[in-house]
Amino acid sequence: MNALLHLAPMLLALAVPGVMVSTWLGDAKESLAANVEATMTTKAVTASVAEEGYCTAELKQIVRRVAGACGLLGAQGRGCQPADASKVVSLSGEDFNKLFLPLQDRVRIIEYDMAKAELDEGAKRAVEAAWGDRGGASFFFVVSRASPEGSVEKNRELSEGRAKAVLAHLTERFQDPDIERQVGLLWLGEEFAQLQGNFCSWKRSREGEKCDEKTINRSAFIAWIDCAI
Amino acid sequence: MQTSDFPTEPDALGVDAPRDLGRTETVTRMPEDRAPRRRGRAWPWLVFVAALLGCYYAAISTHSFITWLDGQEHAISCSVVPGADAATGATGCRTAMLSTYSSLFRTSMWGGIPVSLAALGVFAFIAGFGVYLGLKKDLTRRDTGFLLLATLLPVGTSTAYAIISATKLGEFCTVCIGIYASSGAAFILALVGHFRAPRAAEGTPVPWGRWFLWFFEGVVLVGALIGIYVAVAPTDRPSVTKGCGELVKVEDEAKILLPMPTGDARDPAPRTPAIAVLDPLCPACRAFDRRLEASELDQRLSMQVLLFPLDSKCNWMVKSSLHPGACVVSEAMLCAPASAPRILEYAFSEQQRLLELGKTNEAALKADLEQHFPDVKGCVGSAAAKARVNKSLRWAVANALPVMTPQLFVGQTRICDEDTDLGLEYTLTKRLEAAH
Repeated sequence: MNALLHLAPMLLALAVPGVMVSTWLGDAKESLAANVEATMTTKAVTASVAEEGYCTAELKQIVRRVAGACGLLGAQGRGCQPADASKVVSLSGEDFNKLFLPLQDRVRIIEYDMAKAELDEGAKRAVEAAWGDRGGASFFFVVSRASPEGSVEKNRELSEGRAKAVLAHLTERFQDPDIERQVGLLWLGEEFAQLQGNFCSWKRSREGEKCDEKTINRSAFIAWIDCAI
Repeated sequence: MQTSDFPTEPDALGVDAPRDLGRTETVTRMPEDRAPRRRGRAWPWLVFVAALLGCYYAAISTHSFITWLDGQEHAISCSVVPGADAATGATGCRTAMLSTYSSLFRTSMWGGIPVSLAALGVFAFIAGFGVYLGLKKDLTRRDTGFLLLATLLPVGTSTAYAIISATKLGEFCTVCIGIYASSGAAFILALVGHFRAPRAAEGTPVPWGRWFLWFFEGVVLVGALIGIYVAVAPTDRPSVTKGCGELVKVEDEAKILLPMPTGDARDPAPRTPAIAVLDPLCPACRAFDRRLEASELDQRLSMQVLLFPLDSKCNWMVKSSLHPGACVVSEAMLCAPASAPRILEYAFSEQQRLLELGKTNEAALKADLEQHFPDVKGCVGSAAAKARVNKSLRWAVANALPVMTPQLFVGQTRICDEDTDLGLEYTLTKRLEAAH
């Protein structure tokens, strides 16, 4: 009787937690088996480059052509000349400019002195700020122009020099081997897609200085393009 | 009927009734031979109640632990009030449960054996033993002495765990406090019960054999519970061996993977390359870092950190800033790679304050970092620093990593998320074995 008095509570002390623990473990086992596939597949979004709403088929086509057809992806640094531009763009100048309207917040307009292709201090700062503001973009677009004063050939050379000045500064400042693969140059001279005066209200390297249709075209239009190219 | 000026009969608790020698009182005397049997008999029942309360808290703690064995996150019961709703998110109970101190043998069994299971066994034994003593007719101090000794085990363990909570975890788990209180109550009641119990007759030898048998029963009870746990706990875990994906582009041309030295750098033991994907202001990353450090397995890894701030200021993959200010701290780390381990440690230890600064005054956050780490001055906020953070994020894109932190890659294999909390030590040990 005394032994029973001793054993009964002890057996109960083992049985109750034992049954509880084994039931809980059984439930966990079932739940693990049911979720084994789910647990091996992550539910989180995968990291990817940006693809903003303005990435229309036309814009992506132009950027791809600049990146590919003009030999830039091969890091040859040739860029698209005005002669190539009409083939690359397949759009009127006005329609070409319209494609960039949604990028207003991303674009910086680097301004140059007349007949010059050198970056001043404000321009250098603006180029660096634009480069640092990359986000998820894959491609840095530099579209340079010249105002219509002077010969077509001279303006072609001038706009080429302006685009290359941006690339040279980026290369020197950041010493990043990827720059040649990420920066696309398109120089348009005075021949194609001249900017209208309304672009004076965009972010310019000479903010506060006089701006009109002539000065705004002595420029390089730079921006990261948030499209998966 | 007789009048008496003798002390009255002790009550069932063994407490003498107050004497009043100034007046006579009529009492019924018990027979002399029955008095010792009743003396102090209620105390073991009170110990039983305290142990039952301990069983309750240990059981809910064990239940919370077991629910996580399926690799999913579950709500954790974290209230001393019986029946309160379980809580999700960061609580002291979650911190305690996920800490390396919550279970034993974590490297040989996924999650290990929860300490609360052993506590459940010990409290169940004390409860059962309390019932036995409460019913025992010839209760003496020989019996209550063993009960008192038995209650010392949960008291000692509770003291040790309270110290660990205060010094190592920095947080107290409310259910654990319930266990500590039950342990203390059981001990105090057993102590009082022991001194209220009648002494054994003069010349009675110490019952070593009986004590050994009781001790053996306690060990068997706790051992049986652990045996059930080991036998029934889920073991089929393909995630441990297969992992959850591989790195596809491990080259680090831009030098954005930051080395994080661990342990003694002079130790010649081979280390396995590992990459942790962290956000310096992410509480889960801090908890992960602390767990890894406590496990000491980090000393077998050659660890590098990829910064992946979940802050929309620099990370286009998140639509809102989960951890505002994380971009600034990441810039600081990438500006001064040599100081990066110290900056990360600072960010983890001051996380709440830095998060608040990041949310309200980013310039103050930048100034705070420059004050503590002068070598980042002039770099944080620059285009070059932003470009480096961007490169870090692009490394994640190149490897198609999930947009989440923390993540751990051992060699090139990603440890599954469900294996980075309770199963971290087990999984890491298996991965390290596989790597060598």
